[in-house]
Amino acid sequence: MPQQALTEAVYYILLSLREPLHGYGIIQNVDELSHGRVKLAAGTLYGALNTLVEKGWIDALPENPLSRKKEYVITNAGTEILREEIARLSELVDNGKRLMEGK
Amino acid sequence: MIKRVYKFFFIWELDKEEAWINDMASHGYSLVSAGRLSFDFEETEPGQYKYKTLFLKGNYYSKKNMDFFSFLDDVGIKVTSYINYPGTCCVYTRAVAEDYPDGINIYSDIDSKITYEWTKLWYMLFCAVVITLGGLLNLAVAMNRSSVWPLNFGTALVCFGLAIVCTIQFIMSIVKIRKFKKERAIHE
Repeated sequence: MPQQALTEAVYYILLSLREPLHGYGIIQNVDELSHGRVKLAAGTLYGALNTLVEKGWIDALPENPLSRKKEYVITNAGTEILREEIARLSELVDNGKRLMEGK
Repeated sequence: MIKRVYKFFFIWELDKEEAWINDMASHGYSLVSAGRLSFDFEETEPGQYKYKTLFLKGNYYSKKNMDFFSFLDDVGIKVTSYINYPGTCCVYTRAVAEDYPDGINIYSDIDSKITYEWTKLWYMLFCAVVITLGGLLNLAVAMNRSSVWPLNFGTALVCFGLAIVCTIQFIMSIVKIRKFKKERAIHE
């Protein structure tokens, strides 16, 4: 079954978690990656992170004694999903360009 | 120094209450504690904090809510105060304005906004039903010509008035949900 499209928030969260990050780090990273276009709100991020952990696409890392902020990182399953999404997005862009620009 | 202000907001006036609290903060009075009839403010730099009020399902101390507050704390949004109501709670959060210059936004996706609106909708329906029953009970007592029937009649009228306001809020939530759903059909 083809993978369903990811939401923009989930796409950017997965992309941000190639390295372990805590909540505020994810918000800042998504803001930076999207040049300020995608503003991830805290409640939305909280819901998305819980769902992604349940799905096994990201892992919640054991708490760091130096920082009580919980960190997350992408899993192999999450990386695979991200690759499939990038392929899906490329197809969308390629088809758009081909038809709109006559390429 | 703590400044206490006596003011009352109905539970459905949370947005109006938030605007007032943010206005106080912009004048150098930052909320530290909220009650049903009074608000305590500390003196700070004008505009030092941004505030966001939340209407959440369940008691403030429920595990689900405590986990959520712990996450909010991680992203720099601190719970300042709360008020528990039957089956729900109003939570007052704040963040340093430098970290959230555009204000605190809790939900940025349509599905979360819809879920949040459903929480308000069910609570308004619950309030409307309970208040209407209270009104009917008072009306029944007044009709039986009790010794204090004018008091019962007056109470019944107040109850019906409040029930109408709750119903209006309920309808407004339905309209908002429908608007969000329409938007979701074409946008993420």
